[in-house]
Formats: sequence, C-alpha cells, structure tokens
Amino acid sequence: MSKQEFQPKDLAGKLAKAFLHNPLTPLLGVFLLVIGYFALEFTPREEDPQMEISGGSIIVALPGATPKEIENVIVKPLERKIREIKGVEYIYGMAMNDMGVVNVSYYIGEDREESNLKLYDKVMQNMNMLPKGTMQPLVKPFDIDIDVPILSAAFYTKEGSKLTQPELFNEIRKMQHEINRIDNVARTELKGEKKHQFNIEVDMHKLSGHHLSLGQIAQALQSLAINVPDIDTDTKSGRLAVFGVKNAIESKKDIENVIIAVYHGSPVYLKDVATVSMGENFQNFKETQISFKDQSGEFTPLQQQVTMTVSKLKGTNAVFIAENFKAKLNEFKPRLDELGVGYVITRNYGQRADDSVNRLVSNLLISIVIVVGLLVFVLGWKESLIVAFTVPAIFAVTLFIAYMTDQTVNRITLFAFMVSLGMLVDAAIIVVENIHRHMHEHGAADKSSDQIVLEATDEIGPATNVATVAIILTMIPMAFVGQMMGQFMKPIPLNVPVALFASLIVAYIFAPYMAKRMMRKPKHKHGHSAEANEGGAK
Amino acid sequence: MKRFEHFIYSLLSSKSKKLLVILLTLGAFFGSLLMLSSQMVLAKMLPGKSANTYSVYVDTPEGSSIEQTKKVTSCVVKVLQDEPEVTDIEVFLGQGAPLDYAGLVKGSSYKNAKNVAELVVNLTDKHGRDESSFEMVHRLRPGVKSSCEGLVEGSVIKMIEQPAGPPTLASIVIELYGEDIDGSRRLATQLAGILRDTEGLVDIDTMMDTIYPKYELHVDKEKILRSKLSIEQVNKILYLAFEGRKVAVKNSEDSPEQIPLFLILNEQTREFDALSKEAIERKLSSLKLMNKAGMMVPVSEVVKVHKGSSSPMIYSKNLRRMINVIAETDMVSQVYPLLEARSTIQEKLANEYEIESTKLFNLRLTHKQTGEVYDLVWDGEMKVTLDTFYDLGMAFISALVLIFLLLVVYYKSFAVSGVILLGSFLSLFGVIVGHWIMDIFTVHTFFLTATSLIGFIVLMGISSRNSMLLIDFAKLLMEQKGFEKQRAIAVASATRAKPIFLTAGTVVLASTLLATDPIFGGLGVALIFGTTAGVIVSLIFIPVLLHSVKAMDKPL
Repeated sequence: MSKQEFQPKDLAGKLAKAFLHNPLTPLLGVFLLVIGYFALEFTPREEDPQMEISGGSIIVALPGATPKEIENVIVKPLERKIREIKGVEYIYGMAMNDMGVVNVSYYIGEDREESNLKLYDKVMQNMNMLPKGTMQPLVKPFDIDIDVPILSAAFYTKEGSKLTQPELFNEIRKMQHEINRIDNVARTELKGEKKHQFNIEVDMHKLSGHHLSLGQIAQALQSLAINVPDIDTDTKSGRLAVFGVKNAIESKKDIENVIIAVYHGSPVYLKDVATVSMGENFQNFKETQISFKDQSGEFTPLQQQVTMTVSKLKGTNAVFIAENFKAKLNEFKPRLDELGVGYVITRNYGQRADDSVNRLVSNLLISIVIVVGLLVFVLGWKESLIVAFTVPAIFAVTLFIAYMTDQTVNRITLFAFMVSLGMLVDAAIIVVENIHRHMHEHGAADKSSDQIVLEATDEIGPATNVATVAIILTMIPMAFVGQMMGQFMKPIPLNVPVALFASLIVAYIFAPYMAKRMMRKPKHKHGHSAEANEGGAK
Repeated sequence: MKRFEHFIYSLLSSKSKKLLVILLTLGAFFGSLLMLSSQMVLAKMLPGKSANTYSVYVDTPEGSSIEQTKKVTSCVVKVLQDEPEVTDIEVFLGQGAPLDYAGLVKGSSYKNAKNVAELVVNLTDKHGRDESSFEMVHRLRPGVKSSCEGLVEGSVIKMIEQPAGPPTLASIVIELYGEDIDGSRRLATQLAGILRDTEGLVDIDTMMDTIYPKYELHVDKEKILRSKLSIEQVNKILYLAFEGRKVAVKNSEDSPEQIPLFLILNEQTREFDALSKEAIERKLSSLKLMNKAGMMVPVSEVVKVHKGSSSPMIYSKNLRRMINVIAETDMVSQVYPLLEARSTIQEKLANEYEIESTKLFNLRLTHKQTGEVYDLVWDGEMKVTLDTFYDLGMAFISALVLIFLLLVVYYKSFAVSGVILLGSFLSLFGVIVGHWIMDIFTVHTFFLTATSLIGFIVLMGISSRNSMLLIDFAKLLMEQKGFEKQRAIAVASATRAKPIFLTAGTVVLASTLLATDPIFGGLGVALIFGTTAGVIVSLIFIPVLLHSVKAMDKPL
C-alpha cells in the first residue's frame, strides 16, 4: 500500500476522497455558512413552537328556554351528532338560560382546516333537528394563530383632551384600518368599544300623564327613520331627473320633535315625555380601563381605554410585524398628540420572541466557545480550529433544512441545538484525532498526506456511523409522543437527528480537507506506545 | 493511564472485587429509584417560568352587577399599584382580556357577563428584575385575596401565570360526573372545601353558577285576552322599558357605523325602590300598555309576580353531566397535593359515600342513602403530566429496543449488546442523583420534569456510544495485537478513557448553560450528571461485565 491510490471502503472515506481535492470544497463551506445566516435571519421567530390545535364552538340561541330545556332539545342532540365526527376528543356542552353552547376539541395534531369543515358540515346537515324558535346556529372554529394576538396597545385620552370615549373609539377605529394593511396581519380587534347612539329616555309618569304607551313611541320613531334609495326618472325632454327623500331624522332636534300622538288637536312631541341625548351605548356593560406608571413613576388613576389587538397569519414572522406596527404607531403620533391621545404597548410577542431567540443564540455561541476551549486544551489549536469550523456549518445546514420545511425558530429549536452541541462535535473530533494519530505513527513518512488523511477517515467510519445512528434512533420515538407536550417538544426530534446526520457529513467532507492543509506530519519520526495505536490498516 | 490499566486489570482478576463493582452499581441505581419514591426528588411536568406579565381573573357570584365587579377589580388594582415592578395594569370588565395561551384553555374568550373581569399586569423586563413573576404572584396572592375577595361575598380572585409549557385548564382539575344536579353541586362544594384545606393549593373554584333569587312574572292568560292585549306585546314592552332596545337607526357619513336610536325608560322611573315583590308590583302598576281598543291597561293587571331562584348552567363533557372543581398549585408540584387531597376525600367522605378506586387515581362515590353514583376524575395538569410521562416512557423503551437491535446487527451477539444496554440503563442513576444535588443548591425545588425525561432518552444514546468505542477497541487489540481478553479489556479501558472523557466533557460543558434555564434545566442537569455517571459506568462496570461475556472471545 505505497503509492497506488487508496480505495476507501466506507462512506466516510468516499466522501473525504471526493472532496479532498475539489476546488469547490471551500466554496461549499462558505455557501453553507451564508445560507445558515440567512435561514437564521428569515425563519419566522416565535417564543413557543406552533401547536396544531383544532376545535370550535357551536352557539345556538333559543330565547326564553331554561337550562334544562336547552340541554334536552339543543345540547344533547348536538352532542350526539358531533360524536359522529372522527377525530373529536372532547365535547363540552353548556346549557344556559336562552342559549346552548357546545365546544368541540379535536385530538392534537388533527388537520385544522379539515376539522373546521367537518364541524361546520355536521351542524349544517342537522339544521332540521333544531327545535322551532331557535336562531341560526353560529359555528366558530378557533385558530390559535389568529385568535391569540401577538400585539396589543391600549389607547387613552390624556388630561385635557376633549375626546369622549365614543370619539376615542372612532379615532382608533380609523387607525385600525391602517394597521390592518400591514403585511401578514391577520386580524385586528378593538376592546372597550363605546359607540355613539341617540339615547331616548322616557319618563314613565309623563307617559301615563299623556295617555301614551311605549309601543307608540317605538312605532313613531320606526316610521320616520327610513332610508329610501334615490329615484331616477326622465323628464319629458328625455333628460334624467333624480330625486331622493331625505331621512327625516338627522339630528337630536329632529328626534325631539317627533310627534307621537295628537290629542284634541294639540300634538304631543317626544321631548314632552322623554329626554333625548347623543351619548354612548350605556347598555353595553363591558368596560376597559388602564392604569400605568407615568414619567414620575407614579401610577395614573384608572381610566377608560381602548385596546387594539393584532394577530398574525400562520408561519409569518412576528418580529417584522411588531416592528411595522410600532412604525405605524409612530406615524400616527402627531395626530394622536393633537387629539390628546396617548398609548401604551401592552403586549409584544414579536419582541419577546426576538429577545429569547437572540439570548439563546448568544448562549449557543458561548457554549461553542467553551467547547472549543476544552478542545484547544486537549487536542491542540489547529485541530480544535477544524472542529470549531464544523459546528457553525452543521447548525447552518440544520437551520436551512428547518427553514425549508416551514419550521420556525423558537425556544425549543434552539434548545435542540444546545442539546445536540455536545454530541455533534464528536464526529469531527474522532476524525481529526485519528488523522492526528496516523500522522504521528510509524511509517507515516512513507505515505503521502492524502493517503494518511483518507485512511484515517475511512478507518473510523463504521464505528462513528453506528454510534451516531444509535443516537439518532433514540430520538425517533420522541417524534411519536402525542398530546400537547409532544407537539411542544417536536422541534427536538425534528432537528437533533438532522444536526447529527449533518455532523457526520460535514466531518467527513471538511475535516479531512482542512486537516490535509493545516496539519503537518512531524519532522522527526516518533511513535506512540504500541498499545495506544489502533493499529495501521492491514 | 498505566495506573488505571493496572487498576482495571487487578479488578478483573479478583472475583470478589468484580462482584463488589456490580453490587455497587446496582445499589446506586436502586438507591436512586428510592430517592424518587421517597420524594427526595420531586416530579413535576414543567417548572414555573418567569415572565413579564401575568393575569388576574375576578369572578363575582352570578347575578352581581357590573358595579360590584368593578369594586373588586379596583381593589386589586390598588394593591398592585404599590408594586414597584409593575409598569401597567389593564382591566377588562365583563369580558376576557386579549387572548393568551393561558386564556385559550381557561375559557377567557367565552367570558361575557357582568360578574367576570380580567386584569392584565405587565412587569418590568425579567432580566433586570430580582423577583421572578411566579415568586411575585406567590407573595401577592394572600394580600390580594384577603383585602379584595370580601368586598363582594362569594367572589373568587385567581392569579394566572403564563404556562411554561402547554396550557391546561388548571393545575388540579376534578371532573365530577353525576346525573343528579343538586347532589353534584353539594358534593362539588365539599370537594372544594377539601382542596382548600390541602397545603400548596390556592385559587380554588367550583365551576358552577351560584343560584341567586329571581322574580318571575306569570302571565294571566284570561285577563290578557279580556283586556284585548297579547302576550307578545307584554313581553316586548317589558323588555323595552327595562332593558331598552334599538328601535331605529340613522345613517351617517362621518361615523363608521349607523347610529342607533335607543329607547328605554329613564333611570328614575326604571329603577325599583327595593328588591322585593311589592316594589316590583308597584312599578308594574304604573307601566301601562295600550290595548286594541286604545285603552291603557297597567301591566300589573295582567301579570302576577312570583319569587323564584335562578337556574344554573348545566355543563357536560363527552355527553355526561359534569362539574369542575379547580385549583392552582402555589410553587409546588401538583402530584403530591393531589395525592394528599385524594386520601382526605377517601377519609372525610367515607361516612356519606361508598368510595372505590377506579382507573389510576380516579374515584367512584356512591351515596349511601340515595344510591346516586358520582365519578371523580382527575384532569388538568395531572392528566397531561401522566400522559406525557407515559408517552415519554414509551419513547424511552422504544429507544432501548431500537438501540438493542442496532447493536445486535453490529456485534452479532445478544450478550455484548445486552451488556452495553444494561450499562447505559444503569448510568441513569446519575440523572436522579443530579436532580437531588441541584435541589440542595437551588432556592426553589428542582423538579424532575418532562425535559429530564428527554435527558434520559438522549443519554441512552450517549452512554451506549462510550461502551461501543471501548468494545471496538478491545476487540481490535485482541484481533490485531493478539492480546488475551483480560489484558485487552484493561488496555482498552485505559486508552479509551481519554476520548471518552473528552466527548463527555464536551457534552457536560455544552449543557452547563442549558442547566440554568428554568424549563430545560432538567435536561441540562440530566445530561451533565448522566454523562458523568455514564463515564464511570462505561470505564469500570462495563469492563467487569465484558470480562464475563463469552461473546467477547470472538473477533468482530
């Protein structure tokens, strides 16, 4: 086995040989690092991994029914029908006064779109089973991505602002439309709505004094507040003539002057029995308040606010949306200041995801430094430099594959990286260490460095392959863990095997390439003690 | 190295020493298992996670007004305003706060009543804060409850932390199944009492409506017909008078919506003087309806007022009537309070109910007099924990089987593969001891968590790799250098010690930062201590066993 070319037997040697003299090898290395960097930048970031949870609720109203009636005529029949759907894990029924609600949750991991369709179908197919007098059932599927907002901001009026709560609400609503235009924003919602309405408060005593009933007032108002489309007709000369009837009610005054009845020739106006005001819809009992620390560090007293929430489309980057949202709010700032409106960002999952990803990335870098430090100490700096290069290359490949398979970068993904870090340097360490030993062996001087590198790589191939496959195998059953926890932990069985497999390939391609160029045979031949040698290939 | 080689060699020569090694290893393994069962190491699915926010749920009894609810929330806000780490507080009255992961399963989005409210409390950034959010919740909870819950009798205030992992309805959920509504309600109240007395449990709530007094109007049909009215008219006018209705709308170009015309009695004439039958009758006598003949008829003429009570909501799960009793844990694992509560239930309710155990921790209670059967099922985090630990356990066993098969294919010997597997299995004692050590050095309980279990699985791969490298090398020595078995094993252990230490070292060092994370700490500690134990086992225990295995005589 002197000068003729070495024929590798294992995948390890074959890969090493193919890339040892290939001019593209360093390019490939750079390319891997670049795609890894881009994958890290562009993969959507989240704090927690996405979970496929599907389900929904069916709401059926039957005014005037007691809970027991609702249970018998609505909830129970519906529950039985829902049972017919495959993949449903739990059915929760709630029978209340006037209303029945059935909540359905599917097994975790069931396809969401399909589940929603099945649920809707089932309800629509059985519309005829619903008792007389029920209103149209409402089927509301839930969708984590859309239902859990990633951003929220609370808007409040500053001291001295003349805006009333309904006016504030209207202003924010105008902004909502702009926010909705941001890329990948799925839904925006407002909480704390107070809307304008004409409140007509009738005095019961005056009413009976005028011998009137409430029904008459309602009728009088209904008959006046009617909108009719414009009428167009032709004139005799063939020109178009358009005329419309204006709504009789335009202002508070119009309402006050509505004639409800005429007694003995004198009309009774609405203002005689009721007070009319343009106010807010006080029958809406919901209210939102805020108290926050101002610049002086003191809490402001509780005051009304309007909260806007923003949710994102599935698989999009919360970080970008959060940045755009903030930029948009800044754009509105002059207008808001003018109106005397301030805001507090009360939730920012984008920022949270970014922080936790950045922190973990820096933790990962520190870990890499620590591990390389250990290697320098034990192996020598050239050898550890080779190993140190393989780590980012391996992560780059893994990240890129994660990006291509529509995964997101989240806490668990990065933990998967940290868990695998200790294991994935091994392949490179074993290759480099073996090359190092072969170079210091008896008879190393007779061989070309090509041959030594290839032999050494090929030799440890089988054992390294089996050891790595053993670790990959332990990961595979984890992918089949069910429940929420299984979904939550999924990035570990998805990414660790990929990283380990990549570690083998990267070690076989780059370690020999770099070893040949960086490591030198010792000038003076000296052998290690015989036992320590794994024995030159025979 | 030479000294280690001699040490192994002499170990292998003496039968009694070999036996001692085996006994010590087994002893360490079973000793560590004892640590689990004696609760020296506590299990929990996931430990608490420090966050920058938490929520407070306020539930006043059904039938409370929005003003009463507001009184309680304002009180909570007042307490929280004294906290220097709080930056802002949002109150959502009569509705749920913007949905988060906790609210998703706690039914936050369904809240739409005058007796509910949610508060969102935002804190300063967790990295610049000494106190974690769960410590803060733990500290504030008693104060908030004692000063605010009493304002409206029967209110429940719950402090909700962001879940570290998958969200659940509550840490401890008792699902009480029973067809008899009144019996279930009584039993649920008893169970809530027991949970309240259990140490470590807080925020106990029964998820059933409070029954409150209610007045019902019974329509006199004959009188209605005689006075030329209709029942529909009576209903409509009553609703219009006291609840109000949008009778018409006005379109507007400047407003994003139509502006409704809302008709209602004014406040002075709408309000009752008192909450009594007489007051209601009095009010109804002045509210008049116009009949078809144009005559005014007072409502009180055609209806009778009766005092009754509200009918509570009926809740069912998977087609069975059910009431939930829920509790949160206060910085402890839910496993141990649950077991305690369970034995209290068996003790305290024994004279009223016949109690038998069903699946796992579940109970079946049969009332001694009525014979009514109630099923008590533990759900919530406990069920998720059991399911997860079971699933991960199964994954662990599957991993063992897969590795064994791979080893058998590679070594073509069941005995050698068995030795490797046994070695990796026994090295797991390091994980449990590691958790115990960490528990001593950390302020909070260091739980054995789901991530520790993942550590178990990953370790199987790592430790078996150590043993494999050792066996490969020993076989090579025997084959190529013609060493006899005992010498080969001793030399192999000594020379392989360096790479084994090196790879173990990288794993340990890479895991140190992992161990500082609250959630993945379990995995980090499992890897650090498990690999260390694995090194000891593969360098001492594995050689001892290998020496006795016949299959080692054959070459690869």
